[in-house]
Amino acid sequence: MRYESLSFHTENQVMVINLPAIADYHTIITQLTDELSDVCTVAASEKEVRAVIINWEQDEFPPGTELAGFGSVSGEYETTPLSLTAAVVKLDIPVIASINGYAIGQALELVLACDIRIASETSYFAMPHIQTGMIPWDGGTQRLSRLVGKGKAIELILTGEMINAREAHRIGLVNRIVETKELLSAVTEMAHAVAAKGPIALRYAKEAVLQGLDMTLEQGLRLEADLYFLLHTTRDRSEGIKAFQKKRKAKYKGK
Amino acid sequence: MTDFDTLLYEKQDGIAYVTLNRPEALNAYNIQMRDDLYQILSAIKDDDEVLVAIFKGAGKKAFCAGADLSEFLSAPSPVVARQVRFERDVWRLFLNIPQPLIAALHGYVLGSGIEIALCCDIRIASEDSQFGMPEVDLGIIPAAGGTQTLPRTVGQGKALEMLLANPWISAEEAYHIGLVNRVVPIDELLKAAEEIAKKIASCNPTAVRYAKQAVVRGLDQSLAEGLDLEKRLVSQLRALRAK
Repeated sequence: MRYESLSFHTENQVMVINLPAIADYHTIITQLTDELSDVCTVAASEKEVRAVIINWEQDEFPPGTELAGFGSVSGEYETTPLSLTAAVVKLDIPVIASINGYAIGQALELVLACDIRIASETSYFAMPHIQTGMIPWDGGTQRLSRLVGKGKAIELILTGEMINAREAHRIGLVNRIVETKELLSAVTEMAHAVAAKGPIALRYAKEAVLQGLDMTLEQGLRLEADLYFLLHTTRDRSEGIKAFQKKRKAKYKGK
Repeated sequence: MTDFDTLLYEKQDGIAYVTLNRPEALNAYNIQMRDDLYQILSAIKDDDEVLVAIFKGAGKKAFCAGADLSEFLSAPSPVVARQVRFERDVWRLFLNIPQPLIAALHGYVLGSGIEIALCCDIRIASEDSQFGMPEVDLGIIPAAGGTQTLPRTVGQGKALEMLLANPWISAEEAYHIGLVNRVVPIDELLKAAEEIAKKIASCNPTAVRYAKQAVVRGLDQSLAEGLDLEKRLVSQLRALRAK
């Protein structure tokens, strides 16, 4: 398959997906949704892919809009809005969002669906749907409030106000902010740190956190214990412990 | 003072002190510590004289540097290990203690060390504390509640970063992300924990327990159920006070 709206490559067990830096997203949203979904399927099926980076770069303020994000540039909405997050949240491996510039509207919803967010210090964030009479439709009302808490999420969703990277970091919307020229190396370093861990353990840790947050503590503890004991059956576990005891680097096979 | 193999236990003026006491092994959590902890926690739970408890680590280097890996590869089959865990579920017990628990953290606070701290309600750290979640480095995941308690304390974003990438976190960053309530110089650590403990111990013990219950159990319920719980606890308290 040829990809026109995005590009991707895999290097050192990390798949990097570059989303296009264009202003006029509503013209390509259908294609972008299809292609992102396709690439996520590739990531999920390649055993050697241990982590994914989603690279979001948008250095231009989306013009002529109230920042309403994709598909809403003209104020018109599809009857069934196209979800960009559906494919990403199906991935059971860690997904890191790299953000440089404006993550506005659906772009913000997309980065909220990732597991770890690193942004350049010149990035901006907003959920502006309300300014065009809409509400976030790609998981934003749920994921933003779960990530930054009710107080800040309600403020951002009801006012549509834009915040800068520093504020986004302060409220926990992004994990780290770095200088723009450091962004690539910071994200790559984080992805490689993740990719070096036990791959099954990574997937189970992610599952325990994401599923567990939707359960009572008691149920979450059960899930964690079950996944932990399931890991006892893997070769990676004995490899990891032996490697630690012998002070060498573990060689994980995902088995 | 009561001595266990791996823990020290003291009680004074309504405050219980539990000291992880394997300083030669950086207070690493092992099977013996699990059994000792199970006994002590069961005792605390049933002891109305204990109004609040402080957990701390012996020695200069660590609160607790994680689980003792030397025991890991001799573990029984997963089926047996799981059965044993649920028969003597020390973590479930830890998270169901009715009295407030305070962790006084210093040095290495890694893996099970963070998890023990997260079973406590209030965390004070000395400036030299360093935090890390190294489990996935070893091909495993936390098993003392960490995947559940960490995101409930620091939020999903930071918890996933710590669990998946295992960056080392300084005391200052731990404070910034809400992992610890307060950071103090090392020689004021115990004093700071005791100050909070004394304040709690000076309050009505039933009110203290109910406040903890309302928050901890309430967060596990829908808001409507949580408000009902709060209302029930308040009327019980009123009835007790009227006596």
